[in-house]
Amino acid sequence: MSYAETIDEAIVNCKHQTVFMQRCLSQNALMDALKHTSIMLTELRNPALSPKQYYELYILCFDSLSLLSNYLVESHPKKHHLADLYELVQYAGNILPRLYLMITVGSSYLQSPDAPREEILKDMIEMCRGVQNPIRGLFLRYYLSQRTKPFLDNGLVDKKFSISFIISNFVEMNKLWVRLQHQGPLKEREQRTRERKELQILIGANLVRLSQIVENDVQLYQAEVLPSVLEQVVQCRDVVSQEYLLDVICQVFPDEFHLVTLSSLLDTTLKLNPEVAINKVVLNLVERLNGYLERKDGSLDADITSKLSSLDITDNDKNLFFVFWSYLNQISEERPDVSVLEFSPLIQSIMRLTLQWYPGKIANIETLFKFLYDKCKDYGKALPQEWDNRFEDVFFSEAITSDPEFFYEVLTKCEFYQKLLALQSKTLQKVMINKILDYLLSHDVRISVKAELEKVLLICEPLTTHQPQTPAETQSDALQLTANTEPGLDDWLSHPDQEKLVKLVHLCYSKSIKRHADLLLCCKASFHKGGKNMRFTYSAIICTFWKLIRRAHLKSIKKPARAEKLRAFLKQMFKFISRCANELFNVCGASCVDMIYKLHLETASLADQLSLSEIAYDFFTQAFTIFEDSLSDSRTQFQGIVNMAQALQKTRSLYDDSYYDTLITRCTLHGSKLLRKQDQCRAVYLCSHLWWATEISLLGEEEGVTESFFREGKRVLECLQRSLRVADSIMDSVQSCHLMIEILNRCCYYFIHGEEQSTHVGTKYINGLIELITTNIDALKLEEPSSENDLEPSQALYFIGPDGTYLHLPSNNSVSIVTTKPPAITIAELISIPTQYFQRTLDYIHDQKDVDVRFKAINA
Amino acid sequence: MTFKILMFISLDKSIVTGATHHFKKTYQVNISPNMFFKSPLDIEIHFDGEDSRKVVEINNNNASSNAKSLKDQYPLYENGESLSGLVTLRVKEGKKVDHLGVKVNLIGSVDIAKSNSEYKKSTVDTFLCLSADLCPQGELMHSQTFQFSFKDVEKRYESYRGRNVDISYYVKVTVLRKSTDIVKIKKFWCYLYKTIPTSGPSGQNEDAKPVKLDIGIENCLHIEFEFSKSQYSIKDVIVGRIYFLLTRLKVKHMELSLITRETCGLEPNQLSDSTSIRYEIMDGSPVKGETIPIRLFLGGYDLVPNTSCNYFNIKNYLSLVIIDEDGRRYFKQTEIFLYRTRD
Repeated sequence: MSYAETIDEAIVNCKHQTVFMQRCLSQNALMDALKHTSIMLTELRNPALSPKQYYELYILCFDSLSLLSNYLVESHPKKHHLADLYELVQYAGNILPRLYLMITVGSSYLQSPDAPREEILKDMIEMCRGVQNPIRGLFLRYYLSQRTKPFLDNGLVDKKFSISFIISNFVEMNKLWVRLQHQGPLKEREQRTRERKELQILIGANLVRLSQIVENDVQLYQAEVLPSVLEQVVQCRDVVSQEYLLDVICQVFPDEFHLVTLSSLLDTTLKLNPEVAINKVVLNLVERLNGYLERKDGSLDADITSKLSSLDITDNDKNLFFVFWSYLNQISEERPDVSVLEFSPLIQSIMRLTLQWYPGKIANIETLFKFLYDKCKDYGKALPQEWDNRFEDVFFSEAITSDPEFFYEVLTKCEFYQKLLALQSKTLQKVMINKILDYLLSHDVRISVKAELEKVLLICEPLTTHQPQTPAETQSDALQLTANTEPGLDDWLSHPDQEKLVKLVHLCYSKSIKRHADLLLCCKASFHKGGKNMRFTYSAIICTFWKLIRRAHLKSIKKPARAEKLRAFLKQMFKFISRCANELFNVCGASCVDMIYKLHLETASLADQLSLSEIAYDFFTQAFTIFEDSLSDSRTQFQGIVNMAQALQKTRSLYDDSYYDTLITRCTLHGSKLLRKQDQCRAVYLCSHLWWATEISLLGEEEGVTESFFREGKRVLECLQRSLRVADSIMDSVQSCHLMIEILNRCCYYFIHGEEQSTHVGTKYINGLIELITTNIDALKLEEPSSENDLEPSQALYFIGPDGTYLHLPSNNSVSIVTTKPPAITIAELISIPTQYFQRTLDYIHDQKDVDVRFKAINA
Repeated sequence: MTFKILMFISLDKSIVTGATHHFKKTYQVNISPNMFFKSPLDIEIHFDGEDSRKVVEINNNNASSNAKSLKDQYPLYENGESLSGLVTLRVKEGKKVDHLGVKVNLIGSVDIAKSNSEYKKSTVDTFLCLSADLCPQGELMHSQTFQFSFKDVEKRYESYRGRNVDISYYVKVTVLRKSTDIVKIKKFWCYLYKTIPTSGPSGQNEDAKPVKLDIGIENCLHIEFEFSKSQYSIKDVIVGRIYFLLTRLKVKHMELSLITRETCGLEPNQLSDSTSIRYEIMDGSPVKGETIPIRLFLGGYDLVPNTSCNYFNIKNYLSLVIIDEDGRRYFKQTEIFLYRTRD
């Protein structure tokens, strides 16, 4: 008798035979029914079926055999005796149909009250040995398990017998399952593994059955069930099997069982095939234990401690963490083949466990990190980059990052967190530090203790310290290479990590100003190691000092009692700033003088606002020194003068000791000595404002009310005159003309804001200026080729900016193009720039006539 | 565990089991060839208590001669049992038959085929021939019935019907005539029962000891084949196990065969025939250390006890066959002794 060639035929055949069988049964022709059943079962002998197909067929046969079984039970012992049938079916020549029939009959017989149950069960399981083919054997034994299930469950047989029955079936099934791996050609290994995974449920079902029988009997589980099961797990030495079975053990048995048998479970994991991922097993276990805790709702009461005490711990320290901890050490000793990499997830899971069971116990975490640190150190070589991902998880595992406060505590209290991180590859370190910083920033952690700050900074050290990049690294990071070749202030984008580092400064906070300053100094000390990177980091420190100075100032006003002390410290802080600026200058030099210059000016303004004239003066002079020594680019110089003038114009505290005079004279002088004449011209007319203080309403000043404004109209006029002279001497007539109009505008400003006798800018002067400009523009128009006269330059698309740049406003959109050189346009268009500007100015003057009668005297 | 057999079926045709099928109806077989020659006299033999006697059904190999019947039914006798009965001579109506006497013989004979090709068996030895006269010379006018009886007949051999050899017992009634004699034969069957040899109280019987065979192919296969004893009753159960000490073979399956071999004649004209029961005991390839159980119920099969005489012998062998995935067969045969016991 042979089997069908395809699964479809086989299914059809099975169905047919089932129908025949039923028909025979209805006619009480048992022999014929058995014959049909036997034919049907022959299909299960087909070796060509895949596990899935086999399963499909098995289900069909199972259902069919159930029908038969029902009949057998009903007719016993009226029509036949099952004991006889049990022997009868054993005449079948083929073993597989024979055993299926035998189990069907045997299990039917079990239902009769007088059956020698244990003997039948023993006989059936013994006979199953005849099928050594993995798939067929697995299904046969699964069939045995399914058929015998009701008798083992309902206490018809001794519980211990049931357990040993299931275990021995389980052991055999597992052996077959493992054997399946080694069948067929080597190249189909993976397919075998896949097939095995499809079949795993058959083996796992045994464990489920065990768990149902054991119920809540811990003693039984610990003494009988687990040791035998674990023994098989260890003995089979098969990766797939061990992983799966331990997983199932963890899942199907109650979690309090695991608590009791923890040590034997852990011991088992040590004996597994080296390829088994121990961490998976431990992770499962940890999850179960955590689940237990959650169910118990955190009540770590006597119940648990009593269970814990049943563990084999000789030490006083009877806690779960200790068990796992000693387990880790045991692995480390007994299994040198377990790599550091494999430890990392293990440690993560234990971390999860300890945090769940002993929340907030930082010492445990520290211990774990120390362990990993030692492992990494023992590794000797540099850790390969492929491991980065794994370690990333360790450093940033959910367990420790879920609570910001706790994570912060880990960062600051765990010495080995940093040490371990320092052992990692440079790239990983950077990634991790970035992550940590992001985390700190997004959770708005406040750093207020110096020791903690030092810890954090220590962790961040790889970022702060300036490392000459190794060629390998630069290759891998081409973007950074280009950024580094041209160091400048505008490459913030390529240094996002520096930016984060800087943000760290803003996380520092202490109520005590002194302590806060201490924190900042601490940051400074750390950032100092960054070398050139200081140009990114120091400005933040200085800015924070400014804020702190203001805070100190406010405090000193609020608490006059402590004002003296505070003011003294305030001055101290200015010294810190100065030190910072100096260090920055010394290290970075040319690359950021402009910034240092501006920082000085800003600090000077701040000092001035706090009426610390000495300090303000000092910073201004510092700024001048930088200007003189280091600002070499003409454009920067011009901008520098403008900044300086702005800062100086707002100062109020420098009037004593003629500081102000010295400074503004110096400023104007520098302005007049600029390289380009147009810059000179503009600088000087801007400097004219230095002699014309205006109200700062924040200080309570008000035009017309406050009398003490520093104003010297004569000097203003001098400045204007001087700039006019310079403008006149410029060869580019368009520029020259434009500058004159700018001066005219300046004059109008003074005319509006001051009386003629104080500013010395009067109608006569303005009229003269207008006349001069008109003449110049007329002369300018001579340059214009007459042929293009008819071309009406209707749209003013070109302008000259306040710093002499050319602006081009395209007609279609609003984004203007800025160039320093005259754009390539027709002369007519070029000329239209000053003419139109002049026209606008005249229009303005015209309009002013309605408001101010004095303007009537101006001829426009 | 021991079980009693009540019924038997063959569940699987793929294996030649040599087992027989039950049929509710059996056909009457004894059709004498004389019928066709319009014999003037009908002879009818009737054994005493025939209707209540146990019968034995034997496969009729001689399928060509009589297609209708697959089984022959014979009354069963055992060694030393008396055989008595009635012989009825029926004369056709209105006829009379002259005869030189009527005698009855009880014959036991060994019939052997001459060669493999020739089916017809001829008697080589009549080991038993008892004779009795029923009636002296005379004339039969009407039907007449005679009684006959053979007391305590010793039957040396068991009845047997094989491919080349038969041992048959029959009662032959001969009506002697001047012309051809009128003969009528009625066969019966004989079983010889043995007492169970293991019953010796001293326990020194070696047959009760398990048989252990160490079988192997060097560096390839090494198994231990163990079964409970070397002598079995034909209704017994063979229980044993096979222990795999070493397997490098990819075994497809393993079978146990029970071979019955009849051998007759002498070399070079020896004829032999064997029938076998195949019984799969393992599916798939075992690993080292695996033990495969054996349990083979014999009761369901038509087995023949070991027999031996001058002309032929019947031996039984237990054969273990391992078939590997390439279809190669490895086997080991060992003789077992089968005997018949009273049920």
